[in-house]
Amino acid sequence: MTKTEIFADGFWHNNTIFAQLLGMCPLLGVTTNAENGFWMGAATVLVLLGSNVVVSLIRGVIPKNVRIPAYITVIAAFVTIIGMAMDAWMHAMYLVLGLFIPLIVVNCAILGRAEAFASKHSVGDAVTDALAIGLGFTFALMLLGGVRELFGRGQLFGFHVLGDHYPDFLMFILPPGAFIALGFILAGVNVINRRMAARAAQRETRAEPAGEAVGAEAG
Amino acid sequence: MAMMVIALTVVTLVATLLLGVTDLVTREPIHDARRAMLHRTLEQVLPPHANSPMDDKVTVKRDGKPIPVYVARDGSGHILAFAWVVVAPDGYSGAIHILIGVKPDGAIYAVRVTEHQETPGLGDGIVRNKPWVHSFSGKTLENTRWAVKKDGGDFDQFTGATITPRAVVKAVKKGLEFFQAHRQTLLNDAHQSASSSREVTQ
Repeated sequence: MTKTEIFADGFWHNNTIFAQLLGMCPLLGVTTNAENGFWMGAATVLVLLGSNVVVSLIRGVIPKNVRIPAYITVIAAFVTIIGMAMDAWMHAMYLVLGLFIPLIVVNCAILGRAEAFASKHSVGDAVTDALAIGLGFTFALMLLGGVRELFGRGQLFGFHVLGDHYPDFLMFILPPGAFIALGFILAGVNVINRRMAARAAQRETRAEPAGEAVGAEAG
Repeated sequence: MAMMVIALTVVTLVATLLLGVTDLVTREPIHDARRAMLHRTLEQVLPPHANSPMDDKVTVKRDGKPIPVYVARDGSGHILAFAWVVVAPDGYSGAIHILIGVKPDGAIYAVRVTEHQETPGLGDGIVRNKPWVHSFSGKTLENTRWAVKKDGGDFDQFTGATITPRAVVKAVKKGLEFFQAHRQTLLNDAHQSASSSREVTQ
């Protein structure tokens, strides 16, 4: 796979949220606004980068039987480091995200990338994959956070975009709103995917048919 | 087998080393961030003052546990207000930490919630609802019925959230009772600490 293919696959076709439906706990838990989504995503990108690079570096050295505890130790170390750094330099956001920062350890999307990708690919490819998966995850968090903030409070990133007198629509801020908004977003993603597939099929009828191999990994 | 043990040991050792280094680097900034946070909230619950309340504190025991009480003074050392943290253990989701500022006569200057996990959009009105937050100012144990309106008191509840404001009102009332019980000790201690610190500076 080329770097571009790895990126497109991680960001869109195999997106943690849109395609794999993993990492639902931070997704639904912190996305009451776009800013929370952004910082939760940023923390996840950093952890993914760290764990993917280290797992790729030690691939072949770690015996197969103990690879999972080794990966989890690596991931937990990075999560703790990111958590401490946020506590030190982004204290207010650290308090907002609270419990969800240490919970990145058990985000199965991260262990999933270590096991399914980083442990089988070069460091360069592992970095590309971490960026793709991480940014795709951040994009999904910000999209859901933005939708909930916009409809729930009439704001985006804390700015009033629907006028000062927007009546709060509480349901979008409360947990049910997260599920409902996510449902609509997933439906939208499926519409886009179907259109892309239709266009690709059109092109293929003219050119030679090519094989397709995008396997979704479970975590 | 030996390889497995060695591999896991090395991974764990390196991880521990990294965490140790991070702790060394972040310990001071975390301490500073916590202090800055406390400083900001203290400024909100205390009247304008000339000293640094964070460094001007007396310690009182509550249920056997020592709790710091921060003192605000004017330029000539007179006590303007005290501030300390009360905890409402019965929030809708977990404990709510509240910093309360009280004047020597037992009237509240201001109240701020510093830590909570209440539902966004419902219970978090204790932070977001400004009129409600300010409704505590000037209240004493005597001039107020310390309950939410639903329970026959003077404080509003929020639409869809009664448990959270109820817990906060109860905790603040307890704080005032604590102040009443220790008022004399607090005033004496604060006086002494003021004169002793002045001796040091002279």
